[in-house]
Amino acid sequence: MPDPGVDAWKEQTSAFDRVRSVAQTVTEPRPASGIAAEAAVSENTARGHLQRLVEMNVLQPFENGTTTTYAPDPLHTRMQTLRELLDEYDHDGLLKLKADLQAEIESWQAEYGVEDPEELRALGAETETPEETATIRQAADDWDLTAYRLGIVEEAIEHYSAYSGRDSAPA
Amino acid sequence: MASPNAYDSAEASHRALRVIRQELERHPAIEVAQGFPPDAHASVEATLNPAQLKTTAGEASLTVRWFAGESPDDPPQFSIHYSDDTGFDCGWHHEPNPHVEGWGHYQERPDAETAYAYESYSFGSKIPTRVVWEILSRLATVLAERDSGAE
Repeated sequence: MPDPGVDAWKEQTSAFDRVRSVAQTVTEPRPASGIAAEAAVSENTARGHLQRLVEMNVLQPFENGTTTTYAPDPLHTRMQTLRELLDEYDHDGLLKLKADLQAEIESWQAEYGVEDPEELRALGAETETPEETATIRQAADDWDLTAYRLGIVEEAIEHYSAYSGRDSAPA
Repeated sequence: MASPNAYDSAEASHRALRVIRQELERHPAIEVAQGFPPDAHASVEATLNPAQLKTTAGEASLTVRWFAGESPDDPPQFSIHYSDDTGFDCGWHHEPNPHVEGWGHYQERPDAETAYAYESYSFGSKIPTRVVWEILSRLATVLAERDSGAE
């Protein structure tokens, strides 16, 4: 019996979509065979789509002996998020978003008395109950993701005119 | 050819959540999927279409958390959690927990006043895309059993 959900996935998506979606989330470079298996496509199909994704700068290829492996191009994901931010926010909106994210980080710092998510994880290892450990772990993960997004928001602000084609001065 | 990039778990998690949002939107049972909270996007929240899921619930939503391992070899921690306006909620989680052996488990409760029941769950794949489709398929089964009154 196939894994649950795979048939529906194949019905709703193209082979290209599936290869892209799988290849974009691997944490280590993977060969076409590994990506093909996860994407429910043949290895030859995967190879062709992976090559196109390299040409589109969605993926980066790595030579590993005789095998080519593929991993996400970090710049591509970053650019997608920048585009989304610039579509959703104007310059003032981005400044407010930056302040909101900074305030959120400061509230974790104040609440737990630590400087960064790493220190918070260390604190989480010393708690009394599994529930507390889980809560702190989630806060540390949220903090990491918030800090990462803050970096992209700052980039969007810094390059606002060039990236958006709009003026950063208030209308 | 470049050499492999330095690994950053926040970057990998951000990437996973983006793809999860996109995959959710491809699923016929999902009406809309968005980053949550609206400013920080540390997780994904989706509104489900109860009719498509063939459940008697009026409003139903899904929350997906994903955090890539601290190194590329470490397993990700994630959860896909469902709740609806009957008070019922359930979820498939992959994270350290005191309830079952190992990380993978399913938990459900009929309402917020009742304690969760836990059981082990083994994910077919830990690729974010695959997890989304696998769990939405499991969810349909869980809801069908619940609504037919089967145990």
